[in-house]
Amino acid sequence: MSGIFDRLQKKMEVETQQDGISPLDMAALPPLLRKVMRYMLREYEMLYSEICQWAKELPEEERPSQADLDQALETLSKQFWLIKRGEGERVRYQANLRRKAGSKLGPGAWNVLDTRIAAIKKEPPQE
Amino acid sequence: MSQIISIHSFRGGTGKSNVTANLAAQAAMAGKRVAVVDTDIQSPGIHVLFGLDESSMKQTLNDYLHDKCAVTDAAFLVGRGSTPQPGAAQLADKSLWLVPSSINTSEVSRVVRDGYDFNTLNKGFKTLRKELQLDYLLIDTHPGINEETLLSVGISDEMVIILRPDQQDFQGTAVTLDVARSLDVPTIRLLVNKALTRYDRSQIRSEVEDKFHAPVAGVLPLNEDMVELGSSDIFSLRFPDHPWSQELRRAAKTILNLA
Repeated sequence: MSGIFDRLQKKMEVETQQDGISPLDMAALPPLLRKVMRYMLREYEMLYSEICQWAKELPEEERPSQADLDQALETLSKQFWLIKRGEGERVRYQANLRRKAGSKLGPGAWNVLDTRIAAIKKEPPQE
Repeated sequence: MSQIISIHSFRGGTGKSNVTANLAAQAAMAGKRVAVVDTDIQSPGIHVLFGLDESSMKQTLNDYLHDKCAVTDAAFLVGRGSTPQPGAAQLADKSLWLVPSSINTSEVSRVVRDGYDFNTLNKGFKTLRKELQLDYLLIDTHPGINEETLLSVGISDEMVIILRPDQQDFQGTAVTLDVARSLDVPTIRLLVNKALTRYDRSQIRSEVEDKFHAPVAGVLPLNEDMVELGSSDIFSLRFPDHPWSQELRRAAKTILNLA
């Protein structure tokens, strides 16, 4: 039987997921934040130093200043679109996508469907 | 560094999965390391082209998303099954993996009912690229605009939009292009499929390019022989001299930047 802490943990996990970014949200971001998010989605999880290195290697016209990059990472972390972990040189960022929502159909409808599927699988194939 | 290419269409029936499978096969035949992920979880189908069925798919993308296996365990090396068709059999010594979605009814309904964690899917893409040392990761998406599509578009180096010369496809393609442009996809290409053979292909190409202000990678002719094959094999490998296959190879060179 799951205890209250398990349930709270589960609730927190769900809330964290709901705070993440939807890919469509990216379209509304300012250009630098969108660029950082695209990179982080591709790479999934990166050390701060690796992100700085990536930014340094961007073409000059696209390259953000260190301050702008830091500000972008801070903004995305505050909005839970990036999850920041660790301290000092070991700070790493992970992209945080919102969970794909399930169906809004009532559980009764799905139970009926599951029961029916199970029954069909038990039936012998018809000639 | 591996390239992520998402293959998309606004409507069903454009031949998207068929084109994806054939592009992947051409890349593999050119010696590239390729994986195809079927993110059309609600209506999977590309596995059929590679000769897989429910019994031969031991683990699937659904198992990975539900934390039952590693994503690489769900990656099936194509052409090494028990009875590959003549086309797919040519891939036996190549490096082409398919991560199929489950065709099991309960698994499909589970995903629709419960949803799943997009972070897991995204992490899976990264793991596949790294562990399999891929040159290309091809993502076969569900038609229309949905979250899987947006994720694949959001991380792609290149997006290929398949369309038929049809007014419904034209309008939908305009929507898809707007989305792709708003997500800063570096390269967007169109690929026309099922063009009537009595029309001039170069004229179709220029009309579509003018309409959408995007390059057309190829104009594939309507192909009754492919209908006859019934998705049971990789057409361009089985019938390499067919006009459809020749045009597909030209398009593949452009899309995949093959020599």
